Amino acid sequence: MSNELTTQMRELAKKLLEEEKVQMVIGWEKGSLPYHSTPVFVTNPEDAQKLIWDEYCANNLASYLLDYRNSGMKIALFVKGCDSRAIVRLLQDQQINRENVYVIGINCPGIKDNFNPEKEIAERCRDCTHPEPVLYDEIIGEKPDRASDKERFEGIEEIENMTPDEKYQFWQKEYDKCIRCFACRNVCPGCSCRECIFDQGQKWLERRVVSSENAFYHLTRALHLAGRCIECGECERVCPMNIPIMKLNKKIAKDIDSLFGPYEAAVNLEEMPPLGKYKEEDPEEFM
Amino acid sequence: MAQEMLKASANPLLPVVCKVTKIVDETPDVKTFHVTSENGKPFTPMPGQLGMVSLVDVGEAMFSVTSQGEDHLEFAIKRVGMLTDALHEMEPGQEIAVRGPYGNGFPIDMCKGKDLLFIGGGIGLAPLRSLINYCFENRNDFGHIQIIYGSRSPADLCFKDDIFNNWPKQENTRVDITVDKGDENWTGNEGFVPQILEEVNPSPEGKVAVVCGPPIMIKFVLQSLAKMNFTDDQIVTTLEMRMKCGIGKCGRCNIGSCYVCLDGPVFTLKQLNNMPNEY
Amino acid sequence: MKIINVEKIPEIIKKWQNDCEVFVPVDNEGAVDFIPWSEGSKITLEGNSLVPPKKLFFPQTETLYKYETKGQSANVIALEEKTAQRIIFGIRPCDLKSLEMLDDVFLTKGFVDPYYKLKRENTALVALLCAEACDTCFCTSMNIDPGAASGADIVACKSGEQLGLQAQTEKGEELLNKVSQLTTEGEIDFKKAGNFKLQADIEGLAEKLKEHFESPYWEAACRKCIGCGTCTYLCPTCHCFDINSNTRGDHGIKTRCWDSCMFSEYTLMAGGHNPRPGKKERFRQRFLHKLQYFPERYNKTACVGCGRCLAKCPAIVDITRIITELREVTGIGTGNVESVS
Repeated sequence: MSNELTTQMRELAKKLLEEEKVQMVIGWEKGSLPYHSTPVFVTNPEDAQKLIWDEYCANNLASYLLDYRNSGMKIALFVKGCDSRAIVRLLQDQQINRENVYVIGINCPGIKDNFNPEKEIAERCRDCTHPEPVLYDEIIGEKPDRASDKERFEGIEEIENMTPDEKYQFWQKEYDKCIRCFACRNVCPGCSCRECIFDQGQKWLERRVVSSENAFYHLTRALHLAGRCIECGECERVCPMNIPIMKLNKKIAKDIDSLFGPYEAAVNLEEMPPLGKYKEEDPEEFM
Repeated sequence: MAQEMLKASANPLLPVVCKVTKIVDETPDVKTFHVTSENGKPFTPMPGQLGMVSLVDVGEAMFSVTSQGEDHLEFAIKRVGMLTDALHEMEPGQEIAVRGPYGNGFPIDMCKGKDLLFIGGGIGLAPLRSLINYCFENRNDFGHIQIIYGSRSPADLCFKDDIFNNWPKQENTRVDITVDKGDENWTGNEGFVPQILEEVNPSPEGKVAVVCGPPIMIKFVLQSLAKMNFTDDQIVTTLEMRMKCGIGKCGRCNIGSCYVCLDGPVFTLKQLNNMPNEY
Repeated sequence: MKIINVEKIPEIIKKWQNDCEVFVPVDNEGAVDFIPWSEGSKITLEGNSLVPPKKLFFPQTETLYKYETKGQSANVIALEEKTAQRIIFGIRPCDLKSLEMLDDVFLTKGFVDPYYKLKRENTALVALLCAEACDTCFCTSMNIDPGAASGADIVACKSGEQLGLQAQTEKGEELLNKVSQLTTEGEIDFKKAGNFKLQADIEGLAEKLKEHFESPYWEAACRKCIGCGTCTYLCPTCHCFDINSNTRGDHGIKTRCWDSCMFSEYTLMAGGHNPRPGKKERFRQRFLHKLQYFPERYNKTACVGCGRCLAKCPAIVDITRIITELREVTGIGTGNVESVS
């Protein structure tokens, strides 16, 4: 797809490492199968040639910065539009220091889903609002000439139009599929708690994988991300059981947008999540 | 095939209900629980073996059986988490559930006919006590017995009746007690266990050293023993890992390909040196 | 060999269903799963299930016993488990092999797990041989023959619209006798899968790994892992579990649930010490368990090459690559693996 970008990435990474501007570059490398592009952590300039860019570079690499938040390391990473919002998320949540990351933006033409490689474009890219990164130190790639073929909140009315019983049944059926592997949480740049409440024995969540506990897990996570979800869709991509996690996240984003908005999370570093601040004109009909 | 029933006897995960008959306050955060079932002891462990103790509605955890009588087992338990908090809140008469025995226990055959050097710190004396008591019950099978035990303060010494009265009275036995820091009434040794060990300076000749205590104590004790020319197969210790099943299935207590619940908890230092350093 | 048209499979199953439960692989919104067959179930004869059939012997959530508490008294109540006879139809050779490993864990080394044993004894296995490899399959690298199914009661193989059924045990004979009116005697032209895209060479690896516990390789290799439990839960040989109390007022149930060595609290002790405190230690545990510890303990590699872990890993951690890299790290060379383009 974009060999030119691959070359540029390698040169950039090599230079950054050689000049000791950073100690690590996070990008993607090719896996064993044609549709496998997988995260790679380059620390030697000569390994920069492992880096690639192709239509399967799905992983949002920003979440990996959480692994190094106490290391003091200076790290460069490549971000697509959605991934760049994860950087904003981490900065607003005070998880990383701006001076410790060197952000290389990639103008993203949309990617494919490595779990459904036969699809022309990943479902989550269809309603992308930010193919161009919102935050970067430098940027590579041509400005993408593409328009989303789906509105940001398209499809949400399907669940909005359900009766409470229908909603209950719909979500219960989905949550019954959950095996509680925690992939959705672990991949999420908004899930940055040092000790998640779901990792505290049975204090909050029973170990049993049953409807009620699964629902509690998913609803808690969705609400914790209310106004903070960057809509990157990584949770839904990695779910091995195909649970439509983004449907609920988008519904909550839509509600926040209509109640406190217009608001789109982590697009602008200065604009903090509405639930994290108080404004006089906030609705208060429940008071 | 006919429907089958899982019988208690055939189910190693099913515990036996026991009554707590006596609770001894050892230290501010250690209590010893005497437990007995309808039919006496729920099982008869060898020294160093383990029992899975549970308050059924709270949880289960593995503890070494510190001692046993004709019809009861004793568990000395330090308050460190949710289950042990609940256990410490119990009053005599409470029913708990127990299953076991698990693990290999101390190598009695290897110790027979030898002098024994016990080195313990804090709650680490609990597993050693099962072997110490066994030795005194079978006094002629063992040579000289030397016990070095220490804790942070006089109040933190466990099994005070044993360490100050019962054990020193035994023939051919020496007991050295130390505390990191004494109080106004303390007239005994002050200093860490490894220090006292070096002062006592036991010869490794014909001896087995049995060590249990906090990791930092073990680290320095092992250095001292090495200085005194104890070999790695003369040193025995007992390990603690998180366990759920106790029967070698649930997977979490492994150190390399060893399962502490089955192949341990007792290992010689020689064995440990051949295992990954992950415990 | 008995032959039947694949369209007639439901009729066989219906017959068997008269006196037992038959689990079949069914596509449930993109995720193939073994579920009890019912009228209208669309059986998937291509590919493999997403969740391995281990769940039928070792369920993700299983009740061990019940208990009651009242004041100071406690009562433990054993379950009267009524596991009916069951048939698993369509288990693949790799997953069949995984049952040998689970048997080692749950039935040997001094303690027999009665919950597992009961289910194992009450289940007949109809294996389905593989004519085609999925992209992520590498069973042959784990010395598993996709064209054989030892341990199955019946072996099935598909060619075109024909399904051949061959009994391998008395139980299998009985089952085939029950459906003899639906089948004809014959042979079918079955060719087992051969075109594997992934390969790995485990020859001699377990022995060499002993010296590489402290290798810097683990630190580098673990970086991309996000520490979720997908690989362990979808692995047909992973068998770690947790045991918990689930109390409601004065009564409750003791349950065991799948657990994962990838989780931070897995080895965390009450006092706060954790022998495997970080991602590196947990990642290393998973791979050494499969490639060194399990072979040392049970003389088998705890991987059957089903490829589920790779197929669903959020970060595409590829066990075949790890094996290849470990060969280099341990100095035994790249082995017989042809490079995959």
